[in-house]
Amino acid sequence: MELSSLLDPRLLLVTGKGGVGKSALAAALALAGARTGRKTCLVEVEGRQTMSRLFGTPPWDFDEREFRPGLWGMSIDPEASLVEYLDMFYGARRISKFVVGNPAVEFATTAAPGIKDVLLIGKVKEMERRRQPDGRFTYDLVVMDAPPTGRIVNFLKAPDATTELVNVGPIRTQAQTLVDLLSDPARTRMQLVTLLEEMPVQETVESVEALEALGVTVGPVLVNRVLADRFPDDAVRKALTDDLQADSLRALLAGAGLEIGADAAQGLLDGGLLHLDRLALQERMRAELDEQLALPRLELPFLHTAEFGADEITELADIVCEVVSP
Amino acid sequence: MSPTSLATARTRSLAGIVARGHVLVCTGTGGVGKTTVAAALAVAAAEQGRRTIVLTIDPARRLAQSLGLAALDNSPRPVEGVAGLDAMMLDMKRTFDEVIDRHAPSVGRSQRIKSNRFYQQLAGSLAGTQEYMAMEKLYDLHQTGIYDLIVIDTPPTRNALDFLDAPRRLTDFLEGRFLRMFLAPGMAAGKLASRAVGFGTGIFMRAASRITGAGVLDDLAQFFQSMDGMYEGFKDRAQAVYRLLQSPGSGFVVVATPDPPALREARYFLQRLAQDGMPTAGLVVNRVTPAPPEGLAALDAAAVRRTAAALEAGGPEQQAAASLLRLHAARRDVAKREGRAVSAALHGVDVPALVEIPLMATDVHDLRGLRLIAAHLIGPRP
Repeated sequence: MELSSLLDPRLLLVTGKGGVGKSALAAALALAGARTGRKTCLVEVEGRQTMSRLFGTPPWDFDEREFRPGLWGMSIDPEASLVEYLDMFYGARRISKFVVGNPAVEFATTAAPGIKDVLLIGKVKEMERRRQPDGRFTYDLVVMDAPPTGRIVNFLKAPDATTELVNVGPIRTQAQTLVDLLSDPARTRMQLVTLLEEMPVQETVESVEALEALGVTVGPVLVNRVLADRFPDDAVRKALTDDLQADSLRALLAGAGLEIGADAAQGLLDGGLLHLDRLALQERMRAELDEQLALPRLELPFLHTAEFGADEITELADIVCEVVSP
Repeated sequence: MSPTSLATARTRSLAGIVARGHVLVCTGTGGVGKTTVAAALAVAAAEQGRRTIVLTIDPARRLAQSLGLAALDNSPRPVEGVAGLDAMMLDMKRTFDEVIDRHAPSVGRSQRIKSNRFYQQLAGSLAGTQEYMAMEKLYDLHQTGIYDLIVIDTPPTRNALDFLDAPRRLTDFLEGRFLRMFLAPGMAAGKLASRAVGFGTGIFMRAASRITGAGVLDDLAQFFQSMDGMYEGFKDRAQAVYRLLQSPGSGFVVVATPDPPALREARYFLQRLAQDGMPTAGLVVNRVTPAPPEGLAALDAAAVRRTAAALEAGGPEQQAAASLLRLHAARRDVAKREGRAVSAALHGVDVPALVEIPLMATDVHDLRGLRLIAAHLIGPRP
C-alpha cells in the first residue's frame, strides 16, 4: 500500500482510541479530499458538534450542507436515520410519526449498539452509493468520524453477534450488505489514528490485527501530535544534556540581554530534558510500529498554537494534500 | 466558576476524600487516564493505612499487570507491593448472572432467564449494562464492610453521563411498561401484529416486527415474562446504590485532558452531578502541558524571541539556549490554549478541587508512576 493512495477509497472510517484526536484528523482528511478535487462529505456521528466548532460554522444536523467549496458536512443521528430508513423501505411516514420519541425506539437506537451501528453505517452507505441524475456519484469521498474501533470490530464480527437480537428481517439483511461494504477494499478503508505513546500504539496494533482478520482493509496509519525534534544537531543536544547548568544558562542568557532567575533557568532546562524524553519515547514507539505493522504511516505534527480551529485543520490538510495522489 | 474560585480550586487537592471518603467514583470520557487516576488514588489511600479496593473495568494491559490483575475473575486480589490494597476487574456477565440469581424467586426461574437468548445478548452488549453492573459490584463491596475506601473506575463510555443514567435506563427498560403492553403472557409473537392493542402500538409493532423479524419478539416475550415480579428488587437496589452515591462519604472525581471535547464532557458531567445532588470531589485534568515557573511565565514574549534569534548564531551552548527559549515559547502558547479550555469548561460550574497533572515523560504503568500521579492528586499544593 502506498501512502499516496490515502484518499483513493470512496469511504474512509476514521477511528482510534479516545483522546488521540481522530475528529481533527477526520476533518483534515475531508478538507484535503475537497482540496484535491474530490466532492467530499464529512460525517459526524453521535457528535457534540465537534466539527461545527472546529470549522466555526453554525451547528450541523442531518441535512448535508456545503460549508467549504466541494466539502459537505452532516451529523448523523440514529433516530433520524431510523425514520429515513422506514420511509425508504416502507414509504411509511405514518410509522415514522410513532417512531420519534418512542421509548422502544430509544432503546433500539441507544441501548442496543448493534442496531444503532446498522443505522449509522447504513446512512453512510446510502451517501456513498448515491448518484446524481446524470449517473455520476454525488460524492467522490465520504469521511466518517467513526465510532471507537472496538465497536466497529464488534459490528463486523457482526451480523451474527451484533444482530443476534434481530436474527431475521430487513435489519439482518441490511447488516450483511454493510459488512460487505466495509470489507470491500476498493470502496472502504479504516483509517486508524494513533499517538506515539504506549497505550495508543498497543491498541492500534491490536486493532489492525482484529480488523485485518475480519477482512477489512486498513489504510495508512495516521500518527497525530508528533513532536518535532528541537535539538536535531548532536553538538547542540550534547550541550543541553552534558554541558548547560542552570547557572551557566542564566549567565549565557544574561549575556544576550535576557535576565532570568535561577528557578526560571532550571525550568527552561527541565523543559528541554522533558522534550528529549518525549522524543525518545516517540522513537521507541516508531520502532514498535515498524516492527508490528506493515502499513505506511503519515505523521502529523503537534501544533504549538494558542488556538485550535479551522486554521490548524487547514495546516494538517496541507500535509495530507502533499502526500496524496490528485 | 469565577476566576478567584478557579484559583482557589487549584490550591486544593483530593487529600481529604482520600483520607476520609468511603466511595470514590472516577469518571470521564475514554482515553483520559481514568483508570490510572483511580489506581493512583487507591494506592495513596492504602499507603495511608486505609483498607482499600480499586474496581476497574477495562484497564490497559500493563497497568493491569502492575496491579496483579492477570485474570478477569471478578474477585478481589491483593496488589503486590502495596499493603492493604486490593484490585479487581469487573466480569460483567458473571455479575449480571449473580444479580439474576439474587432477585429470581426460584432456581428454575433464574435458569430460564439465563438461558434466554435475549438475556444473553442483553448481558453482553446492552449499553448501560456495564455501568449498572459496576454499580451492583460497588454496592456488594460496600455491603461486605471490609473496605474503608472503594475506588471505582467507570466504563469507557463515550458519553460520561451514561454512567448516571444507565441504571435508571436499564430498570426503566426492564420494567418496560411500554413493551410489556404487547408482550402480555400468552401472547404469541406471531399474533402481535394483528392484535390491536391500540392504534399507535399496533402500528408500531407492525413496524417493529418488520424491522427485527418476528423471532426476536418471541424471545422478548419470554424474557419479560420470566422477569415479571423481579423489577421491584432491581429498582430497590438501584435506589440504594443511588443513595450510597449521594451520601457525604462518596465523591465523584471527574477526569479529563486539556482537549476541548474531553473538557466539554467533564463540564456536562459536573453540571449533571450538581443537578442530581451528587457530591463532587473535584476535576482532574490529566496530561497538561507543564506550566512554566513563575519567573519564566512573566517574561516578555518579544524579548524571548529576540534573545533566541541573537543566540542562534553562536556555538552549541548558545544554540541549545535558543532552542530552550523557543521550546518554552511554544509550550507557553499551548499552556494558554489549555488554560482557556479549562476555564471555559468550569465557567459557571463549581468544583471543590482542580488538580492538573503535567504530561510525563512516559506512560504510567507501574507503582512508581502511580505514586507520582498520587503525589499530584493529594500532594501539597502551591
